[in-house]
Amino acid sequence: MKDIYELLNDIDIDETEFKEIEVSELEKAKVKRTLKKSISKKKKMKRWQKNVLAASIIFGLSTATIGLSFTASAKSIPLIGDIFSYFSNENSGLSDDIKNNGKGLYSDYKAYSNEIGLTEESNGLTFTINDAIYDGKTVTITYTIESEEDLGDGSFFIPSPNIKEMKAQGGSDGISKVADKKYVGLLTVSNLEDLKVDKVNIDWDINSISITDTDKEIKGNWDFAFSLKATESNEKVINKSVNQHGVKVSVEKLSISPMSFVVDYHQEVSDSVKNKWDEAYVELSIRDDLGNVYAGQGNGGSGIDSYNLNFSKTFQKIDPNATKLIATPHVTLRNFTSENHGEATITEDGEEKVSSFPTKPSSAPKELVLDDIVIDLKK
Amino acid sequence: MKSTNKNFIERLQRQEEDALEFIVDTYLPLIKGVTYKVLSPLRNDGVMEECINDIFLSIWNNSIKFHGDTTDFRKWICAIAKFKAIDYYRKAMKKMELTSGYTEVDPEKSAEDELIILEDRKELLQLIDLLEPVDRDIFIMKYFLGLKNEDISIKLGLTKASIDNRIYRGKKKLSQKATNLKLGGSVV
Repeated sequence: MKDIYELLNDIDIDETEFKEIEVSELEKAKVKRTLKKSISKKKKMKRWQKNVLAASIIFGLSTATIGLSFTASAKSIPLIGDIFSYFSNENSGLSDDIKNNGKGLYSDYKAYSNEIGLTEESNGLTFTINDAIYDGKTVTITYTIESEEDLGDGSFFIPSPNIKEMKAQGGSDGISKVADKKYVGLLTVSNLEDLKVDKVNIDWDINSISITDTDKEIKGNWDFAFSLKATESNEKVINKSVNQHGVKVSVEKLSISPMSFVVDYHQEVSDSVKNKWDEAYVELSIRDDLGNVYAGQGNGGSGIDSYNLNFSKTFQKIDPNATKLIATPHVTLRNFTSENHGEATITEDGEEKVSSFPTKPSSAPKELVLDDIVIDLKK
Repeated sequence: MKSTNKNFIERLQRQEEDALEFIVDTYLPLIKGVTYKVLSPLRNDGVMEECINDIFLSIWNNSIKFHGDTTDFRKWICAIAKFKAIDYYRKAMKKMELTSGYTEVDPEKSAEDELIILEDRKELLQLIDLLEPVDRDIFIMKYFLGLKNEDISIKLGLTKASIDNRIYRGKKKLSQKATNLKLGGSVV
């Protein structure tokens, strides 16, 4: 169904009917200010999604670490008891339609996580790792930063941890200001390869924290080392697919852990789509037969080009009474422009080669929703 | 990179903030004109301001649904502005009636106006979508953009009688469909 904004496209309106009214600079500034306030939340979410997309394309699968950030605005100052639940809903960067019942992706993480409680102080900045958990695919770490001076609203760049068991990593980092000079963060690092290890060793040597808003850098030494055992998880091979509009999406595997589940899926694109679009990107949304909608976050993915990719996405704890999961693939087809795309290849020696893409005529991205893939949980 | 007359639509659709600044700079006088024309009888600057913000926000949020060039864009945002302003006007009038305590019904207000207010817009659009393209345009012009039947007839090159006719038949069709969709009694 077309909505009113699409329908208004087709209406030929008589422009001469409209008269401009003089507007002062002050009025313009006022409108802009109000608008920026109302878009900031939405916009941040979009940027985050875009980043995940960027992370998902790693060519040649050599050692690569990509740190991303989704910054959420802290509307109020909550008492931070459980950082997981703080990032679960309001601050998760998730869009409204996948927030449900006041619960979110990380709702059940605290109960299964390991309390780390490591603190390092350097150069007037105290960095604490609060909790960490590893589900066999993704390491999730919560941390707190307390500073002697004000560091703005919390747009930091913090170098990513090194996990030597994971050759190719993708992930996300969310930081939020919760009180004056106090910030909390939630970081995920996912293994892009399908290589299961039961225990990971995490080395997080931070020697500088950059404040991206002001280009300021704080040097110091905050070094952490700890290891995590994987939570128990139960793997199911699914191998079900849907092929529509020239895009094939296959759900390959489901790994169910006590606090979450991870879906591995694959996308493949036909030549007709390749000829028209530079890139295809598939997002999965999942609900069950009881009507629960699961909040989730992409872990990034990898593949041979921008059309054929393997992804994984982590969703919140599965309802024990659910018998079916229903996955809906949302496909975005996009063309590159010199502004939104470049390609970086990182070789074994850490050398970086950057090249740009030949672009197809630019057009607005197209979004498609494919048929549901139904996964039987009782089988 | 900054938005210019050439690239602002693309940048807007990519949700670059500077494109929003660009359209405010370029089109605020026009949007203000459209809004003023509809809402000035209310003598309420607060409502007007709110409406203008809402218009720009809707353009921003729905930019992806726009197709065409700069001229089309101007028309598109005028249409959005008018539709929003009428919406605000109707809501404000409804509120005024409630607060004034009169039970007297505005004689100017037609049953269709009431219908628009009563009906959830999404359901109404779902219904309008079932009409033929010409009728769909007529309905949107009449009920969303507040055009008179005469004006619509000039615009579409049809006689006024045929517009009246199409509206009559369209309404009949909609009320039938509405019954089928079990939308309840408000669409009669």
